[in-house]
Amino acid sequence: MTAVSDSTLERFERTMIPLMDSAYTLARHLLRDENDAQDVVQEAYLRAWRHFAGFRGGDGRAWLLAIVRNCCYTWRRSTRSSQNAIEYDDEAHGDHEGGYSAADALVLADSDRTELRLALDGLPPEFREAIVLREIEGLSYKEIGRIIGAPIGTVMSRLARARGRLQKALGIGAREATEG
Amino acid sequence: MNCATTLELLSGHLDGELPPESSAHVAEHLAACDSCAREYEAALQTVQRLRAELARDRAPDVLRARIRTAIREETSIESTPTSTPELALDPPAKERVRSGSARRPWQSIPWRVAAAAAVIVAAASSGLTLLATGRGESESPVAEEVLASHIRSLMPEHLTDVRSSDQHNVKPWFNGRLDFSPTVPRLDDQGFPLVGGRIDYVDGRPVAVVVYSRRQHMINVFTWPAEGDRDSGGDSSPSVETRHGYNILHWRSGGTEYWVASDLNVQELEQFVGLLRRADSAASQAAPPAK
Repeated sequence: MTAVSDSTLERFERTMIPLMDSAYTLARHLLRDENDAQDVVQEAYLRAWRHFAGFRGGDGRAWLLAIVRNCCYTWRRSTRSSQNAIEYDDEAHGDHEGGYSAADALVLADSDRTELRLALDGLPPEFREAIVLREIEGLSYKEIGRIIGAPIGTVMSRLARARGRLQKALGIGAREATEG
Repeated sequence: MNCATTLELLSGHLDGELPPESSAHVAEHLAACDSCAREYEAALQTVQRLRAELARDRAPDVLRARIRTAIREETSIESTPTSTPELALDPPAKERVRSGSARRPWQSIPWRVAAAAAVIVAAASSGLTLLATGRGESESPVAEEVLASHIRSLMPEHLTDVRSSDQHNVKPWFNGRLDFSPTVPRLDDQGFPLVGGRIDYVDGRPVAVVVYSRRQHMINVFTWPAEGDRDSGGDSSPSVETRHGYNILHWRSGGTEYWVASDLNVQELEQFVGLLRRADSAASQAAPPAK
């Protein structure tokens, strides 16, 4: 990439900058820390900018969110390696409590955190991202699958289990142990 | 279709993501099976609650500023080799990914600090760029300084010297630090809580900056005594200009220069300025500003 034309920058500002709330929301849910989320979103935007020439149009949000997600996982890996952290291997660990206990989630709690937000923070990351992408962003299974790099069937089962966990945490209905 | 398969497909059914045929089978089973129907009801309720309560977080102003600046910075490195030497050669955002090796001394500067410096440099240079390419060729270098100060203030630890939502803490803080006394009206009832104050340097003199907020937007209010006799008129009504995605308002009233900078939208910012002007003129009638 040599001289960057103004029109590329304009196009980037027009299509990508308005998606910053979505990017920040995903990062904040994945990292559970506002400052980390800011750092990672900035990194993701720079990466998106460097690769913007290769973006052929289409769904800019899915494209950007995939980058944000990758940056989040890279960030988690790099910061986790210094702690005695549990790495999530999705299917293998998805049904367990995850690396954070409810007590951790309580420590993380801000005053504006609702019961739901706390419950969500207590889920493993692959559940959190499924919920964010579906319930906040309203994306289709296909789009979610493209962002997280998983087949549609996986998206569906992950979403179902994530919702099941939240349902239990929120005390809705009387769900039997039907998962797994 | 049995219960186990139905429950497995429940989410997909609820989201309308199943092939029509499977969806029909699920619906058929739900009509016949009370226990699955209850599960479906509960799942539906859960999803409704999630959608009602979860919302996008708003990316903070400071992040917007940082990203804009970082990208413009990167752009200017690639297109204009003459841009600012050390910060521009190797932007900190690039460095911090692999921050292990500190070969040059400035690389070991914490990146947030470096980023702050980069923002200042970029703010100044992009301000110039905007001026050169935009409409207002050489107009108001003060606006440029105000904007640079506003952007700089968004960096961590730069916003306020005195941080308080209480006007009775902020106002006295300026006493003795400046040769004039800014008014610090209370506007939190109108949705503009006070954040604090600081002293900055604009137009070749120390100025008072009072910081308000609206949601996550910061509003910097710059004031200093206008040149010349305060009774000689010269009052002007607010004019708006937009630079680099920020709105800047300027007016002169009662011998004081006012500059307001924020990335808040113009409508709300004008509402804010209206409130500020009313409060200030009420204050100056009650007690003329101290010399």
